[in-house]
Amino acid sequence: MSVPSRAADAGLSVTELSVAAGGTTLLRGVSLHLAAGDVVALSGPSGLGKSRLLRALCGLDTHEAGDVRLDGRPPASWGWPAWRRVVSLVQQRAVMLPGSVADNLRLAFQWQSACGASFDVGTARQLLSDLGLPASLWGDEARRLSLGQAQRVALARALLTSPRVLLLDEPTASLDPASARRVEGAVRRACAAGAAALVVSHDPDQGGRLGAETLDLSPFRAEGHDAA
Amino acid sequence: MPREVVGALPLDAVDLAVAASLVAVAGGVSLAMGLGLGRKLALGALRTVVQLVLLGYALDLLFGLDHPVGVLAWLALMVTAAGRAAMTRPSRTFRGAFLRGWVALALSALVTTFVVTGAIVGVEPWYDPRYLIPLCGMVLGNSLTGISLTVDALLETLDVRRDEVECRLCLGATRWEAAREPLRAALQRGMTPILNAMAVVGLVSIPGMMTGQILAGAPPMDAVRYQIMVMFMLAGATAVGSVLVGWLVFRRLVNDAHQLQAQDIVVRD
Repeated sequence: MSVPSRAADAGLSVTELSVAAGGTTLLRGVSLHLAAGDVVALSGPSGLGKSRLLRALCGLDTHEAGDVRLDGRPPASWGWPAWRRVVSLVQQRAVMLPGSVADNLRLAFQWQSACGASFDVGTARQLLSDLGLPASLWGDEARRLSLGQAQRVALARALLTSPRVLLLDEPTASLDPASARRVEGAVRRACAAGAAALVVSHDPDQGGRLGAETLDLSPFRAEGHDAA
Repeated sequence: MPREVVGALPLDAVDLAVAASLVAVAGGVSLAMGLGLGRKLALGALRTVVQLVLLGYALDLLFGLDHPVGVLAWLALMVTAAGRAAMTRPSRTFRGAFLRGWVALALSALVTTFVVTGAIVGVEPWYDPRYLIPLCGMVLGNSLTGISLTVDALLETLDVRRDEVECRLCLGATRWEAAREPLRAALQRGMTPILNAMAVVGLVSIPGMMTGQILAGAPPMDAVRYQIMVMFMLAGATAVGSVLVGWLVFRRLVNDAHQLQAQDIVVRD
């Protein structure tokens, strides 16, 4: 990671980004660069706007100002669906869609942005096993999973699309320590294989276990915005 | 030998007073059972009388005027009133909702009505208010129900289940892929009343227009043919109106960057 950004470099470049919610600017002037293999842990008090920053990076929300690029290209040039596939957000509250766990894992391969990529059952089953989920879960109704199980299925669902950048919002918030280690292992392996990760976590030791650099977002707090 | 067509037996003020006693019975029941509906019933009865009497005068005027501008102005008024009714019923709203409801109603109702009066019935002159106004009124009544139900269902889903839509977007779905289910469910809800009506028409109910024609002395099979046409017209207009409003609302709330603008949805008090 380097601050400030190197706009034309390969990887995710964020330049002078301002993020708002409900008309209030939360963060101003955030710049960072993530190259393949980088892991960055975002720190700062609750309510600062860390989750909003992740939403803005994947394009679920519009950012107020600044620029986001991957390999020097803005999201619109990728096409928004393709952008969200390569800059993949796994939200804190895992959302399971109707159908089985397998249906959820297969979901992203049904859409245009998959560009013909096919769902590999073996890879998916191996990923679930790596994350400490039993094979018997495969056909279970996804909405009946526990919070911890759903959180890991959500991570697996994102990893299967081979994203270039993983945006992880409290990825181990509902997990016991052993399951959290498995999630961290899966993230490290994805980054070793060429992905980059931006992680929001309230576990102060998680960054160290992930081999992450830490970026404190507090200096980017917008004037007049009081984090809780 | 063709049956002689005679008008319906005329009603005078005394007849209507007797009919009003039926509402009074309903009011009495409400009072006896403490339902608290008496005031609403009285207001409803009063509105029925005032609105229909005004309509009677307006139609008398329009029929006497026999001019396209008058007819078109009256149709515009009907569409606007229907648009307001359609978009105030849903439990949620957003800035620009009325305009979208109005456009969907105007296009679906007017196109359907003019297709029926021009291409099917062959009304001469094209603006004959005796056909245009009652037919357009029927279309609007049904289309507004379909539109309000579609909007209500779509806004509820986009608001309450926004996480699911955003989850699909996060996984690389286009906005159409992400909202296919909410749209389909909303359109099904919008079409339900007219589909139910088509399922039971003639078995459970004899529709108002057919009843009116029979009371006016028309041969039942003539009334049946008109009613079949009307049912098809209502189904077509409701489908077009629901699809159109669903598309317009969707385009407003899921923008070109494939972002759901759920924060723009407001729950009514």
